[in-house]
Amino acid sequence: MTTILKVPAYLGVGLVYLYRYTFGVLMPGGCKYHPSCSQYAIDALRRYGLVRGIVLAGWRLLRCNPWSKGGVDYAEQQRLFR
Amino acid sequence: MIVAHILTPLENILSAILDWLGPQGTVGLTWAWSIVALTVIVRLLMVPLAVKQIHSMQAMQAHMPEMKAIQQRYKNDKQKRNEELMKFYRDNNVNPAAPCLPLLFQFPVFIALYLVLRHPDDLMHAGDQRSWLYIVPDITEHANAHWSGYVLLVIYVASQLASTYFMSTTMDRTQRTLMMILPVAFVPVLVNFPVGLVLYWVTTNLWTVGQGVITRRLVPKKPPAPPKRSSRTPPKSEVEADGAKAVDDSAPEQQAVPAAPKRVRRKKKKKARR
Repeated sequence: MTTILKVPAYLGVGLVYLYRYTFGVLMPGGCKYHPSCSQYAIDALRRYGLVRGIVLAGWRLLRCNPWSKGGVDYAEQQRLFR
Repeated sequence: MIVAHILTPLENILSAILDWLGPQGTVGLTWAWSIVALTVIVRLLMVPLAVKQIHSMQAMQAHMPEMKAIQQRYKNDKQKRNEELMKFYRDNNVNPAAPCLPLLFQFPVFIALYLVLRHPDDLMHAGDQRSWLYIVPDITEHANAHWSGYVLLVIYVASQLASTYFMSTTMDRTQRTLMMILPVAFVPVLVNFPVGLVLYWVTTNLWTVGQGVITRRLVPKKPPAPPKRSSRTPPKSEVEADGAKAVDDSAPEQQAVPAAPKRVRRKKKKKARR
């Protein structure tokens, strides 16, 4: 049962990998955070499921802007969901 | 398609800009040059970010020895190394990597342009010139419709490789190799894209290359050369690098700090090779 519930999240993970090997390649340059935004998205999706994973990844992407300082930021350290 | 619906506003904006640039609009360019101009506008909007990054990279040069030291200390632990480097960047308010968000901004533009070019007749009038430089007969046709499409694809691959070369300062070797292979793998897909889209990618890549060349001019790749050489032949290189000052002060003592981690590296390197 739990594995079935994880299917949507893994679909999301698959999409992130699809991005990495298509558009991601066209946009080289790295990320100012560690782990990178795409890795963060994968971690968040695996750990928190599709919906919360998308919210976390989206929030991370918004933080990955020119005015933020970057740094070390793991999905596990999030404080949005408990 | 959901994506298409989300991007409709952007599609409309792009259509409006293209219309303004295009043969019927104020600027009056041909459609091909309108796409090039649109790309340039998008990239111009992102120039302030590039400037910010260049400043950050310049500031980083001063911290090069410390960064090298961190890299050597965690040479065998990639994760720890990245963590420590990121902490260091944050503490010193520098960062070599571009933020993801502005880069991602280019995808919606790309997809919206694709959607615009998919229904060119909504935008372009029947009599409009759709050729480019007398070589490409119609930019709305697929790249494989005419030999010029293949020429553009070759230029695309070359420009993509060049832009990867200039952008990838922080990537490891495997990633870099992959990035060098994938543009070629994209060609079979791009062949079925309108020539106008290939034109967009070529333009944006060439812009990246130009920006990269300027960035490299402004940010010399290896200014902290003296500490690098100092570990191998300390007195000689320091005299060379620091000029008369180093001779007067008998500098080896001063260079002791950056030299120490270098020695550690050499030992580790040998171990790793075994």
